[in-house]
Amino acid sequence: MNQTVVSYLSQYEFYDFLLALFRNNQGVLAFTLYLLLALIIVGMCATIGGLGTYAERKISADLQARIGPNRVGPYGLLQMLADGVKMMTKEDIMPFTADKKLFYLAPLLCLTGVFATLAVLPFSSGFIMADLNVGIFYLVAISSLVGLGVFLGGYASNSKWSMLGGMRGASQIISYEIPVTISILAIVLLAGGMGFGTIVGRQGGLPHEWFMFHNPFAFIAFFVYSVGALAETNRAPFDLPEAESELVSGYHTEYTGMRFGFFALAEYIEVFVVCGVAASLFLGGYNVPGIKLDILPMQAAQFVIFMTKTLVLYYVVIWIRWTLPRLRVDQLMSVCWKYLTPIAIFNLMGCAIWMVVFNGKSIAELVLGSH
Amino acid sequence: MFLQFLFISSAVLTVSCALGVLMVKNIMHSCVFLLGSLMGIAGLYATLGADFVAITQIMVYVGGVVILMLFAVMLTGGNDFVSRAQNLLGLPASMGNKWTYAIGLLVGVVFLLTNIQLIRGLTKALPVKTITNEFPSTVTQIGHLLVKDHVLAFEMSSVLLLGALVGAAIIARPRKQN
Amino acid sequence: MMSLASYLIISLILFVVGIVVMIARKNIVAILLGIELILNAAALNFVAYSRYVTNNLDGHIFSLFIIVIAAAEAAVGLAIVIRFFQIKETIHIDEATQLRN
Repeated sequence: MNQTVVSYLSQYEFYDFLLALFRNNQGVLAFTLYLLLALIIVGMCATIGGLGTYAERKISADLQARIGPNRVGPYGLLQMLADGVKMMTKEDIMPFTADKKLFYLAPLLCLTGVFATLAVLPFSSGFIMADLNVGIFYLVAISSLVGLGVFLGGYASNSKWSMLGGMRGASQIISYEIPVTISILAIVLLAGGMGFGTIVGRQGGLPHEWFMFHNPFAFIAFFVYSVGALAETNRAPFDLPEAESELVSGYHTEYTGMRFGFFALAEYIEVFVVCGVAASLFLGGYNVPGIKLDILPMQAAQFVIFMTKTLVLYYVVIWIRWTLPRLRVDQLMSVCWKYLTPIAIFNLMGCAIWMVVFNGKSIAELVLGSH
Repeated sequence: MFLQFLFISSAVLTVSCALGVLMVKNIMHSCVFLLGSLMGIAGLYATLGADFVAITQIMVYVGGVVILMLFAVMLTGGNDFVSRAQNLLGLPASMGNKWTYAIGLLVGVVFLLTNIQLIRGLTKALPVKTITNEFPSTVTQIGHLLVKDHVLAFEMSSVLLLGALVGAAIIARPRKQN
Repeated sequence: MMSLASYLIISLILFVVGIVVMIARKNIVAILLGIELILNAAALNFVAYSRYVTNNLDGHIFSLFIIVIAAAEAAVGLAIVIRFFQIKETIHIDEATQLRN
């Protein structure tokens, strides 16, 4: 049965108190709790997305021996609020020849696709909105709405830069979905389930219990996933859809104000989501090293562990962006189809054979068990 | 309660977007309406407890087919398609006069009534199964069915997909003009 | 409200709309859209019967195969459309009158 955050909370005493407050109306209480938690998660992730822009500028400045934003607030931390106010007060320009309905729809599709993935992201063992049986599959499926948003944004602007950016974006996102999904499938094979609860629950807190070090194939799968995920989120060195030097700004060239803000926010939150997925699939997720307790303060510890892993990966993503040069379009496609996809299929078969031959034991179990 | 809400909204989305596919002139908008309709069907699958099928529907159609359709529209000249017969209300005169329309409407009404009678009869004749609101996980069962009972169809569909992949690549490849 | 009949009626509407799209529109891509609607109507029927009539998941398997076949059909169909456009420079269905060249 699907576990949800409300069913998790209902095992504590204060749930009965809340239930009495809502006159024993289960449905209304569940709805209110879901609404509240959804608002909390969306608010939190929007803040992380906003801070992402700040982190990006600060880290790039650090890598280039500059100072970066330091005027607004302490260390320039409130820069994102200033940016937000700037975006909201800007004039909302619609190109005269644009396809108006699709022009409105495209940023919303991007944002919907990203926010919908937050429903299954496991922040801790209890704080996961809905632990669906098809969790990771749902995440992969619903995040393909982003590609559609990019494509429609490029088409609806009716400008050649946008058009090229949108076409590139869509082809890149569907192509790289294949190696990413296949390497996720290898992990699903190891875990024996698609739900995030199952996948993270099969791992442990210490590195030798992570799926990344389960066997050599899973180790390679982590890197295939990372490269593919970078490309799927249109991050450098795969940011062909918005390559400044050739396409002005790609698919969001014609977007101004808050609509542009939606695209930028969607991108930064998607990077966060992708890092969170990598952390929970390969790096042990929210598991606290060494301790297995089921009390409420544990949730906070798990949350901190998860966020630490995710934000470290987030830093690596930004670091890669400011280190590596951009690929060409043909190189991008050959990397996907000639290298990543065969490697990912090889990994999947390798994982399957490993599971049969070694009866599902990881390297650490084999080594430690033999002594 | 929640299921009812999901069912009604999915049904409205499905039907209205399907009608949108039919009614709008712009083929690009038609594709986006098709997307809405397919998402609505995924919602209907979810109300039927078919979680795996619902997600597969979203995965294949949103991530693949609709984007492919949009690509095809762009590669074949976008929305420059010139034809007077783009929607039902703007049909050219050669396709019929008022009598053909009247007869068509009559046939449609008869068809609809017959179908409704048929469905009513079917639902009465069927054994009434008690429907619970419990949705057990279908993923494991589908996995077992795919590699046990339906393994031949599963393998054949993989061959079919490979054939489609190679065939599409060969057909769409630009050839040198002699 | 939620009964087999309501699902069948939705499926019926989808099927009829798909047929009308196939008949009324002259754009080949639009005809492919109609085919998608028809296939989805069939798949919805399978899943609805699987829940309300039979007790097993064979209906789900059938609809999964329908989705697979729809994807393959869309890929090949659109490849043919693009090839046709390269030759004829139109995607009007009435122009497709030749079997060779």
